[in-house]
Amino acid sequence: MHSTKPSIGIIANPLSGRDVRRLVTKASVFQNAEKSNMVLRMLGVLGKLGVDEVFMLPDVSGIASRVIHALRHGRAAEASSLPRVSFLEMPIRDSAADSLKATELMKAMGVSVIIVMGGDGTHRVVASASGDTPLLTLSTGTNNVFPEIREATITGLAAGLIASGKVRVKDVTSRNKVVRCEVNGNRRDMALVDLAVSTECWIGARALWEASCLKELFISFAEPDAIGLSSIAALIHPVYRSDAYGLRLVVAPPGEGFMTVQAPIAPGVMAPVSVAEICEIRPKEVFRVETSRGTIALDGEREIEFSENDVVKVWLEMDGPVTVDVNKVMQQAAKNKVLVQQHEG
Amino acid sequence: MSRKISFKDAINEALSLEMGRDNSVIVMGLDNAGGRGTDGQQDAWGGVLGVTKGLYGKYGDRVIDTPISESSYIGAAVGAAACGMRPVVEMMFSDFFGVCFDQMMNQAAKFRYMFGGKAVTPVTMRTCYGGGFRAAAQHSQVLYSVFSHIPGLKVVVPSTPYDAKGLLIQCIRDNDPVIFMEHKVLYAMKGEVPEESYTIPFGQANVVREGKDATIVAIGWMVHKALQAAQSLAKAGIECEVIDPRTVSPLDYATIIKSVEKTGRLVIVDESNPRCSMASDISGVVAQDAFKALKGPIQMVTAPHTPSPFSGALEDLYLPSPAKIEAAVKATM
Amino acid sequence: MAELKKEDLLKAYRTMKEIRDFEERVHKEFATGKIPGFVHLYAGEEAVATGVCMHLTDEDRITSTHRGHGHCIAKGVDIIGMMAEIYGKKTGSCCGKGGSMHIADLEKGMLGANGIVGAGGPLGCGAALAAKFKGKGGVAVVFFGDGASNQGTILESMNLANIWNLPVIFLAENNGYAESTGVKYNVPTPNIADRAAGFNMPGVTVDGNDFFAVYEAANEAIKRAREGGGPTLLECKTNRFYGHFEGDAMTYKAPGEVKRQREECDCLKIFAAKATASGLVTAAELEAIDKEVAALIDEAVEKALAAPTPTEADLLTDVYVSY
Repeated sequence: MHSTKPSIGIIANPLSGRDVRRLVTKASVFQNAEKSNMVLRMLGVLGKLGVDEVFMLPDVSGIASRVIHALRHGRAAEASSLPRVSFLEMPIRDSAADSLKATELMKAMGVSVIIVMGGDGTHRVVASASGDTPLLTLSTGTNNVFPEIREATITGLAAGLIASGKVRVKDVTSRNKVVRCEVNGNRRDMALVDLAVSTECWIGARALWEASCLKELFISFAEPDAIGLSSIAALIHPVYRSDAYGLRLVVAPPGEGFMTVQAPIAPGVMAPVSVAEICEIRPKEVFRVETSRGTIALDGEREIEFSENDVVKVWLEMDGPVTVDVNKVMQQAAKNKVLVQQHEG
Repeated sequence: MSRKISFKDAINEALSLEMGRDNSVIVMGLDNAGGRGTDGQQDAWGGVLGVTKGLYGKYGDRVIDTPISESSYIGAAVGAAACGMRPVVEMMFSDFFGVCFDQMMNQAAKFRYMFGGKAVTPVTMRTCYGGGFRAAAQHSQVLYSVFSHIPGLKVVVPSTPYDAKGLLIQCIRDNDPVIFMEHKVLYAMKGEVPEESYTIPFGQANVVREGKDATIVAIGWMVHKALQAAQSLAKAGIECEVIDPRTVSPLDYATIIKSVEKTGRLVIVDESNPRCSMASDISGVVAQDAFKALKGPIQMVTAPHTPSPFSGALEDLYLPSPAKIEAAVKATM
Repeated sequence: MAELKKEDLLKAYRTMKEIRDFEERVHKEFATGKIPGFVHLYAGEEAVATGVCMHLTDEDRITSTHRGHGHCIAKGVDIIGMMAEIYGKKTGSCCGKGGSMHIADLEKGMLGANGIVGAGGPLGCGAALAAKFKGKGGVAVVFFGDGASNQGTILESMNLANIWNLPVIFLAENNGYAESTGVKYNVPTPNIADRAAGFNMPGVTVDGNDFFAVYEAANEAIKRAREGGGPTLLECKTNRFYGHFEGDAMTYKAPGEVKRQREECDCLKIFAAKATASGLVTAAELEAIDKEVAALIDEAVEKALAAPTPTEADLLTDVYVSY
């Protein structure tokens, strides 16, 4: 079923922000109630911009049910201007697979844009399937670099402006870099911000919060004001989202290498990291991981275990997800007075 | 040399002596110190009726105010006892046991048996009980028969300051879960109490008054009402033997039966409601084990089968009185 | 995280296999009618008890649930004694007087399986309070399920533990079912861990079918408690292969659900695959453990069947220390 009227998708991950970082760092708790409120704020403006239908991930408990409840019992005047909310027909496994499936379905529906609410992890999963469908990012998890921190109402507004054609998609979107990897010739996952090689043997509780296990970092962009592993590089040699290259950084044992950087690698955590090497990397330049045993972490989460028998290769690509620049959307809207109605004299 | 102190102070003294003697003794309960987490006075209350006042000043961190969540802190006392401590935890009013009875009935009481004799749970639960304060239905109950019904629990009901101190020290040193019941009306009662530490064994009734004509078994505050009745009956030539069991689990049936074999007549004065009361318990055992000795039917003087009323006029009718006891004694004759 | 050496990996596998084989065997024997009363099997959840208890010593305490065999074995309770107890024999861990729902070994810090849902919360707080007074860094772990997470005792315990900064870990074993009703019905949030914020405590959710995830997260929570950092709510999402009790036809589970879980979510299979892929242990080493464990369980059943039953004298003993 392909939607012909303006429609958008919202993926609000109810599971983000419950990981072990809550315990080992001062990471914040982002309540599902707030996520529901964010969705409702967005729905409020989407309807007014003529978006007819919104597709959502049916998380059964939590966000979706709160939204349903609000739609049924909200004030009548508000309710009438809200778009139709359709929950995708798909089984819920309470895992990353849900976000992935939802993205595929929304893409197939032909939504104009997908709003993603979650952390780096959720965005990474969505980005792996979103193809050319533009993403509007909203940060709700811990330790995030990729998604924006922004008032949801404005994100909803931007989505509505794009979906209703009031702003030109081409002018306000761009494609992102990604770091890809391959194990024994098989293409595996990608990272939106950083791919880390760690000597931790097991995926375990996933999060990476100790610098002592880091060996190597491959970075698509490293902004100096970002938190997380990319800050190790950013504070030496920043690379921006718009730059056509990335970085490779080799970690040295503490005190060795040619410099030590104090980096905010996790919420409330400043760790000294010694650097043996840092260099720019071009797209498609392939690197073989020299560490014999460990795990690959994608955007701060261990995802792949490897040992001596595995050949792991990493490279930068320019074919990542398409994201919307909300500032540009709103600037265009202002410039073209899209939301302004002149009064006749 | 003993001096006269109140029932309340006797309890306070028992706690203080045991805390001084044994570091594993801790005192915990609602407002047992009072004032925790406030900007005002610490040790503000020392318990709702002031029984634990002053302990915080002496023993600091071992006197612990608890939040109003009986299941959790009674259970914590039970758990701490199973792990080598000797907690004295207070249930502010025995009526509140409804909210935490599982921790006493299914946990504390049953550990030793269920775990094949390998658990030791030396927890003391202090609680106040009984009527006479116009505290109404939810703050006036007499529930020792409910607790006595549970195998694994011990239940102690002192009637004098002397007994209170000795029995409480015994409770704390005892290696089983014990419920120590303090009648609110008795808190102000004064009596002779030695300054030193002493214990009174469980399961040893006190023959408070000797007599050959009738046996009156009375519990807690009722002991004093029974004594009043006995005094009055003596003027009519009826000499009553008044027995205070002091502990209702274990209960010293032997002393009661020995007395009934002497007098042939039994009146039991129990402030609780009549169904499944201590009165019916004692009646049943005596009827079974000393039937031949009885010269007349056993009489039970209890409160009626109603909740405790609020109005003073009604509560005075509700509670057993010396007049009712006298009438009961005469009815055995 | 604490590095897992080869002997740790083998130990973890052995413990999980002991639990699995024990439960599968009890399932089989129960069907013959020789085991009295009720049993509640832990098969499917092994990684949780194992991953947590590997960080604990005999000085640390755990409280448990009606589904307690796994906690017992992971905490080091003797398997021969456990089986005899389940059969109600005099040689049982509790001399035949407790049964499956009340197996305990206080010397191993196992404060008993418990037939009252949620009762372990307050008891665990008490154990933690005692540890705090003792001052040697001991901790208590309260195991409880998604069903128990709604019981007043658990919520009160979380409050108490946080205001008193007790060294306790609230270990939520979310197997998706409270008897016959689902967690999505009974709990208003998608994770039990979501409740932690209300008590100002960290709440973490991990995949309970992955020993390594449980081990790592438990390490952090236990370390935090030992260092005086206070309580943690650690939720492990897992699955139970059997019903609430033996005899439960599990009609509330979707068709094919258990089959899929045994294929895709079996913590033993997941562990074996990862451990052998890492090259740190071999399949042959794991198979050797399989054989030893099978023999141990056989021995336990043989001894239990042959053991004497308690006598009339045993009926009246150990109600009190003294009466």
